[in-house]
This record gives sequence, structure tokens and C-alpha cells, in this order.
Amino acid sequence: MALKPVTTPDVEAATIELTIDGKTVTSKEGVSLYDVISNTGKIIAAMCYHYTFDPFGSCGVCLVQQEGKKSPVRACTAKAAAGMVITTDGEDLFLARKKAIEKHLLVHPLDCPVCDADGHCELQDMAFTHGVTNLANAKQKNIPEDTRSLVLDFNMNRCIACGECINICKDVQRIDALQFMKKDGFTQVVAKGDQALECEFCGDCLAVCPVGAITNKFSKYVYKPWQLKKTTTTCNYCGDGCQMYMETKDTEVTRVTSPLSWKNKWGDRSDTANGHSGLCVRGRFGFQFIDSKARLKHPLVRKDNGLTEAPWIEALELAAGRLARVKSKYGPQAIAGLITARCTNEELYVFQKFMRVVIGTNHVDSSARYGHLNFVRAVHHALGIGRMMNTSAEITRAKAILLVGTNITETNPVASLRVKEAIGVYKAQVMVVDSSQTNMANLASHPLIVHPGTEGVFVQGLVKSVLDQDLVDADTTARYPEAFSALQQAAESVSVERVAEQTGIPVDQIQEAARIFAEAPRSIILCGEGIVRQSGGYHNVLNLIDLAWVTGNLDKPGCGLNTLTEEANEQGALDMGVAPEFLPGTVAYDDPKAREKFSQAWGIELPQGGGNANLMEILKRCREGQIKALYVVGENPLATLPSSWDVQAALSNLELLICQDPFLTETGNLAHIVFPACTFAEKDGTFTNQEGKVQFVRPAFDPLGESALDWHITVGISHALGQAMTYESTQDIQDEIRKLLPGYYNLGQPKKVEVNPAPYLSNGYKGEVASRYGLSSNGHDQLRPFGLKMIQLLYHSGKLSTRASGLQNISPNTHCLRVAPVELERLGLSPDDRVRVTSDQGSLELGVQADLSLLPGTCAFPEHFNEPPVKDLMPIELDPVTGVPYFKLARVTVEKV
Amino acid sequence: MNASHGLKKFMNAVLFREIWNAMKVTFKHMFHRPMTFQYPREKRVIPDAHRGALGLLRYDDGRERCVGCDLCEVACPSRCIKVISEEDKSLPLQRVATEFYIDITKCVFCGYCVEACPVNALAMTKLYEYSTHDKRTLLFDKKRLYDIGEQYMDDAKKYLYAHNQEKDDHESRVYRYQFPEPVHKPNTS
Repeated sequence: MALKPVTTPDVEAATIELTIDGKTVTSKEGVSLYDVISNTGKIIAAMCYHYTFDPFGSCGVCLVQQEGKKSPVRACTAKAAAGMVITTDGEDLFLARKKAIEKHLLVHPLDCPVCDADGHCELQDMAFTHGVTNLANAKQKNIPEDTRSLVLDFNMNRCIACGECINICKDVQRIDALQFMKKDGFTQVVAKGDQALECEFCGDCLAVCPVGAITNKFSKYVYKPWQLKKTTTTCNYCGDGCQMYMETKDTEVTRVTSPLSWKNKWGDRSDTANGHSGLCVRGRFGFQFIDSKARLKHPLVRKDNGLTEAPWIEALELAAGRLARVKSKYGPQAIAGLITARCTNEELYVFQKFMRVVIGTNHVDSSARYGHLNFVRAVHHALGIGRMMNTSAEITRAKAILLVGTNITETNPVASLRVKEAIGVYKAQVMVVDSSQTNMANLASHPLIVHPGTEGVFVQGLVKSVLDQDLVDADTTARYPEAFSALQQAAESVSVERVAEQTGIPVDQIQEAARIFAEAPRSIILCGEGIVRQSGGYHNVLNLIDLAWVTGNLDKPGCGLNTLTEEANEQGALDMGVAPEFLPGTVAYDDPKAREKFSQAWGIELPQGGGNANLMEILKRCREGQIKALYVVGENPLATLPSSWDVQAALSNLELLICQDPFLTETGNLAHIVFPACTFAEKDGTFTNQEGKVQFVRPAFDPLGESALDWHITVGISHALGQAMTYESTQDIQDEIRKLLPGYYNLGQPKKVEVNPAPYLSNGYKGEVASRYGLSSNGHDQLRPFGLKMIQLLYHSGKLSTRASGLQNISPNTHCLRVAPVELERLGLSPDDRVRVTSDQGSLELGVQADLSLLPGTCAFPEHFNEPPVKDLMPIELDPVTGVPYFKLARVTVEKV
Repeated sequence: MNASHGLKKFMNAVLFREIWNAMKVTFKHMFHRPMTFQYPREKRVIPDAHRGALGLLRYDDGRERCVGCDLCEVACPSRCIKVISEEDKSLPLQRVATEFYIDITKCVFCGYCVEACPVNALAMTKLYEYSTHDKRTLLFDKKRLYDIGEQYMDDAKKYLYAHNQEKDDHESRVYRYQFPEPVHKPNTS
């Protein structure tokens, strides 16, 4: 562990000079010599080196000659020092490297033709470039192949013991699932304890393996790299927005690879602060839904005998005709639109423009309503910004990170690596406030496990504790004395002791957390679903802003408030104005200046603001009969919302339900017209990730069957309505967005957001703050002792991933309630038993399984599965300000049956 | 010079000299064995190194040699081969070509695919009679290729020998892959 990044935000390493091949090079003292050489543009061969972790030095190929040393030295493990004289070329060095390669090849089977790494193998390349043709005394290891894991196969005959897989697992992922083990006379890589590999299956070990020792089961033996077409695109699972290579044969997705690979090993160790370019299990192994047989390939139209295939022209004419009829009969206010935040920015833009311009209604919403909107509304209201404040590099370099209500490793696995790097490399203090013992809580310095649903209470306690301990930043609070005194008054109603009692965290731990957060030079807040998707989400985000403000962490560089999004383009959906309260560019819908700008650009009078329905309101109005036609793009409210909201009745009540989705969903089954949309792999456009990076989505193949891009369909309906939107390509839409939102296409380098708390703190703050603080009296409900949480799993994202057979293999629906092992014991349950779970909303019977991450008094069920329909046990509560529905937590009883 | 030349020309013309010369060749051939033969009643003897239609071979125990490595596909200059491979359903960890196509109308009979094959599963045979009324039958699939291989096994082996690729069955077995066995249960030792 010698070669950590030598330049940390706190320590600057000395600059030194050394000579490489006769040229003087400047560098930082103590970095790997290999990095110094590769920075000069020279590439020397190496097999065990990768910039994302500390040099390991096992392959012995990266040999260079250092003046004053008799034999060549390994460049990777040598540290750069002043005055070194290094030669990197020469006959002797070439022969020395060749010898090292021959050593590896002696025990490497020559089964290249059947090896999955053939054509993408470092050892093969090296043997070729060094002209290794003849090997005397080659021997075979004859080790059986380890196929016990669900995802990865380990063929240790091919292993060259470079240790890249073990190192990346340990240093980057911090999972440490692999180890070396001397077995059958050879050093082999095995899963910890020589068991079947059970890990997060991020597949980074697969990506960095320079030979074919680790291969994946989902594409085993079905390809050779040269048969595949490689498309660089953006993952559509979560808001991290990882870049990935979609590798396809015609219309068949063979595998997904990451920019992280043994081929991309040259970089400075500190580069990893921007990400290590890897993927998570969902991105890498969850691609099977794209070419799934269940995909819709033709438009469907409801006839007497149910949904039947129809030609496009008929379906479009029908949709347009019936939309026009509803509009003329009931007015445009009787039409509403919902779209999923997995669509591209261009599609979202076209959709909201279609609803507002062609239809003339502002009843338009996206799935960002399920949570992310709380965050954006709060920061927009208080700070005048429209997204999170920090970059991933700033998160890595923070000194204190407060993670509230997020199981970050499961919901946003790649973003979690930034926190893990902050912990491991930069020694940050991390406070994890969540209601389960998450993976991050295990790594963090301060795991604070609260009772379910009390994350918001804990935030209030932190604010109170900061005020009590006088940890406030005098400069920032002195600028707004009125606001500060209002906050002090409001916080009177909170006492740290009461917070401790309700959350289950001792007072001294709350106070220590407050101290760490307030005193660290760079403090960052990351909040997730436990805040934005749980009761009082909007206020809780504002309380977090208070916390950042009073501790002076709002506008200091490297500090700020951040969130994580569940779907790929939730940020984009709000940026594109797909919400009744926003216009494109996250400006308020009733902002007169913005209204004029868009009215002019679109050549119409915008529908009036006020009384516009958001997602929940739209469904309510459908049920009540005010909305007669609903245009649903990729959304599936029927499978998402608890049945108590009666989405079924709402949708059945409609005169026209148009559904547009790659699959026939539950909502689609009720629709009158279903258009076959295509998946992100066939789309051309951009996604905006949670950080604000706008990244390209590129088509890997043409839309399957007769399916079409979402915006094509929307534009098609507009043509059929006679109010044609005249886009011919994604480029046309992008040009329009570029004109209206200059600089939106930031090529993955978003501008820093400018926080402006002044208007809020000097005006509206006083009136509001009192209502945000205060603890409700009822702590634990004795009647219903368990908190039932709907959780997100690492291996799934929304409902989409359940269509990916690979992810279903890894994590099928167990139909089981997850309960803490102690509770199993207390209730006298064995794994075969079934339990009855009862909430105020209803009850159902299901199996049980032990889950070590849960605390006594909590049980959980993954929100991705509706079988059994646990979601229907959830009560539903609407945020009074933002209308965000909260349905992730219920109080239940659990009894054995 | 000029006069003698004219006389010679005159004599040649009078005596039909050129016709006699021509007839000389004709009469010579009366005493020759015929150069042509009566195809298809008679057939030419074809050398072992002849590059004819391609066939896929099996080992002497009947197992398919082809492991679906796709090297023939990349080696093919006229892009007439397509291989689709996967893991053998019945034998875990063994790679097998599930589909194998050679578009023989495109094939230029260069023999590169045979050279590229690491297990000598492909060989050229002396078969050249596959003309047809239906061009679609000239897309040889895996079954057809194995049929050709079986029918012309001797030719194929001679071809491989002539091209210095494989001497005998023993050598073919040496080329054969030893696929690793899967670990079924955790190592208890």
C-alpha cells in the first residue's frame, strides 16, 4: 500500500526531475515510475498494472533499466525519485521482457481458439509482439474450471496470477471477495474461502482480467471479439450515468463491457476520483431485456377480442382521432400525459412540447415525481438551482460525508465507489444514516442506524445539535440574522434527547455526528430515497439545506448537498420541464419571462398555470372522471402504486388510454392503443445523470420489429392530428433545445451550479421554517410493531430489470419477506414457514428469509416484484407541497401461520 | 533473293504445302492416346492437394472436431463463412459450433480456412460436382458440411497430409482440446 495518490487535497507532493530515455521529465515525488513513463507517451508492456489500484508487481514485464542498477527494475513498483536516469528501450530489455512472458506462457494452456478472451488478451498480444513462438517444456495445470458462481467462471489454467481481479475488488470495490489460494500445487484465484462466489457481481474482475481466466456465463463461448459491433452508450438503469460498450451481433446483445479494462491501464492513480469507468451488475449483466422475446414488435389496438396487432398507420390515426375527439368534447384539460424518466432528453422534450403545444394541456408529469422532484423543488426553492451541487470528484475528496437515507451501494453502486474511495484513500469520516445495516454502514466510520422512517427526525436532531453545541459558522449566519433567529426559534421545538429516543441513536452519537459534519473542512451531504421518498421529503431536504447553511457548508468549495436518482434520466426529465411546475431549464412554469420565451419559441400561448395536475392528481382526476384521455409513455403506475390509490379504477374510467412501451405492461393491458417503443439500445439521444452530465445514448442496432423511438411515435401522433411537429432527426430536436437552453449539451462536463440562498433566507425563510421543525408525538406504534420497508436491490432497478434474465438468475423473486435473523428466532420461524403480514391496508401471506442487514423490528420486501403484491400493504401519503407520493414504509404485524 | 522467295511462295501454293503440314499434325494424332476423356463416364485422377469443396471432419470416435472458434471466419478473404458457437448443452464447458455456414458460391478455394483451423476440423475434398438448379442449396450448412466430410473422409485426410497439416489419426488426437472439467461441489479437502 505504498503508492497511494501522493497529491491529496491536503498534501502536495514535491516536484522532482528525472531523466527518461535522455529527456528530462518533471513529476511528483513518490508516484509510480510506470505512471511517469506512460505520461511521457511511451507505453511499456505490463500485465499486472492498472492505475486504479496500487501496483502489485507480479508479472515482471514492465522492466526498465535504471542507471546504477545491475539488472532491470520493475517500473510499476518503483517510486519516482529525483535524479533517476531511466532507459526504457533496448535489446537487453526486450529480451528480459520476452523471458518474463515466456515464463507465463510455459504454464498457460494454448486453448486460445476456445477461450472467450481470444482476440482481447494481453498475454496473446505480448506473445505476438515479443515473438514468442517456441516453448520447450511447456506444461499443463489441468485444474478443473470453477463454475459454481452464478455469473463468473474461473478457469485457473489460464490464470497468470497477476492479481488484478483481487486488487480491483479490494482497492476499488472494497468488497474483497477474491483471494489467492495455493491449491493443487498452483496459486489460484478463488472466491473467499474457496466457496461459490457470492458478491456484488460488478464484473470489474472480469473487465481487468488480462487473460481468459475469468469469463462470464451469460455470453460464454457465444462470441469472438471481432464478431461484435461495439457501441458506446450510456447505461439506463440508475442515475449514475455510466458509459458502457454495448457489444452486439446484428440485433442480439452479446455482452456489455466497460471502458474499464486491462486495455485502459494508463492513468494517474488520482484520476480515479472522477470514476474508475467500471459498471455494476445491472449495467454489465442486465442487458437481456433489450432483445427479449417479450418485446412488443407491432402496435396493438383494442378490438372486441382484446388487444390485436394493427398496422402503424391505423393505430396512429386511431390515437389521433380519439385524442381529437376527447379534446373537442371535453377540452384540452381532459387530456394528460405521463412519461418515464428512462426516456432520453429529446423524447422528454418532445413529449412535454406535444402535450403543451399540440394538445394544449399542462397535465404532464414524469416518474421523477416519485422522489427526485422533492430534492429539485427544495433546492430550486431555497437555492435557486436545479440539481445536486457537487461533482463525483468532490465527493471523493470530501473530509466528512453525511449519507442520509440511502443504501448507496445498492441503489447507485458506481456512485458509492466515490464514497468508498473517500473512506479508503482519503480517510474521510463517513456518517451513514439509514434504517438498515447497509454495506456502506459496514465500511463507514460512523454507522448510525435509525428506526425506519426517522431519517428526517435525525436531520432535525443534527440541526438542533449544531445549534446546541454552537457549531454554527458565524460568518454565514451573521449575513442573515433574521433567518438564523427564526431557525433557532423553530428548533426550540426539537430536543436532541427526543430525537435520540425516536431514532434510537444515543445523544452523544448525534452530537458527535454534528461535530464532525460542522468541523470538517469539506463536508458533503448525500441524500437518497430514505429522505426524498419518505414522508416529509420536501421539508427534510430543506432541513438538510439548513444544516449545510448553518455549518457554513453551503457555498464553500467542495461542500454541498447532493442526491442520488433511481432512474437514468430523472434529472433530464426535470431539466426538460416534464412536470406541471417547470418549464424546460427547471424554471418555474408561472415565471412570466420564461413563459414569454417559450410561447414565442413554440408559437403558441402556453396553457395557463395553476390547477395543473401532477402524477397523483392526474390519476385522481382520471378516477373522478375529469381527465378522459391519458397518454402514458413507458410508465406503469398500475404496477408501481399501491392498490389503495385505485389506479385500476382510474385507468378503466378513461375514454382513451394510449400506452407506449417496449413491453406489454400491466398498464398496457388496460390500454386502448399500445405503441411498441424501443429500448435505450436502439435510441439516439442523451441522458442527464444526477450530476448534470449530459451524455450520449447511441443506437446499437435498428429498432426491433416495427418498434419505434418514443419521439417518433409522439411526432407521428402530432402529424395525424394535423398539427405536425416537424422533427426529422434527433439532431433537429437537439438544435431546438440548444437554442432554448444554451449550453445544455455539456458533453459530460457540467458547469458548477451557483448557489444563491440570499432571496430565500432574507425573504420566505422566516415564515416557513417553523413548520418544518417539530417532532410528532407518536414514536413506536405498539399495535403494529414492525416497520415494513420497500427496498431497492443491488441487482434490480425499477421493474425494467426484472425483464433481464441475467439479473433474474442472480436475484430472482424469492416471494419472501426479509426479516432480521433475531426476529426469526423470536417469532419461532424456520425458513420454510410462512407468515401473515398485516397492515392497515390489508394483509397477505408469504414466506420468510433472513436478512442480515435488517435490524430487529424491521422487515423488507424488494419493490421490484409485485408477486406477492406487498406494495398494496403500503399506506400512501402525498407531500403537501410537491405532491410526491410516499409509499415505501408501512407499520405491520408479522405472525406465523 | 526476291526471285527465289517468289518461287518458293509459288511452289507452296501449287503443292498445297500448308494443308500437308496441317494434315501431318492430324495424322500424328491418329497414333496418339486420346488427350480428352469421356466425362462424366470417365473421371480425371485428382491430386491429393486439390482444393475442392470444403467438408467438416469428425474424430475417429465420431465426435465433432469443430470447436466453433471462428478463426476460419476471420481468415476467409471472401467472407463466405459464418460460425455461431455456444457452450455444449450436454457437455458443460465444451465449446461447439451450433451453426456453420459456407457460402460456396463466394468461396475462392484459397484454403486459408483449413490452415487457420486449430483442430483441423475443416479440410478440402476432391468433390467438385455440386452444380445445381437452385443456387440456395449452395449455402452449405453444418449438416451438409459434415456429410461431405464423412463421404470424402479419405480425400480430406490426404488433403491435410499433402498440405503438411496432419499426418495421421494419432496426430489429430494431439490437436484435440482437453477441456477442463467443471467443479461441481465445493472442495472439501
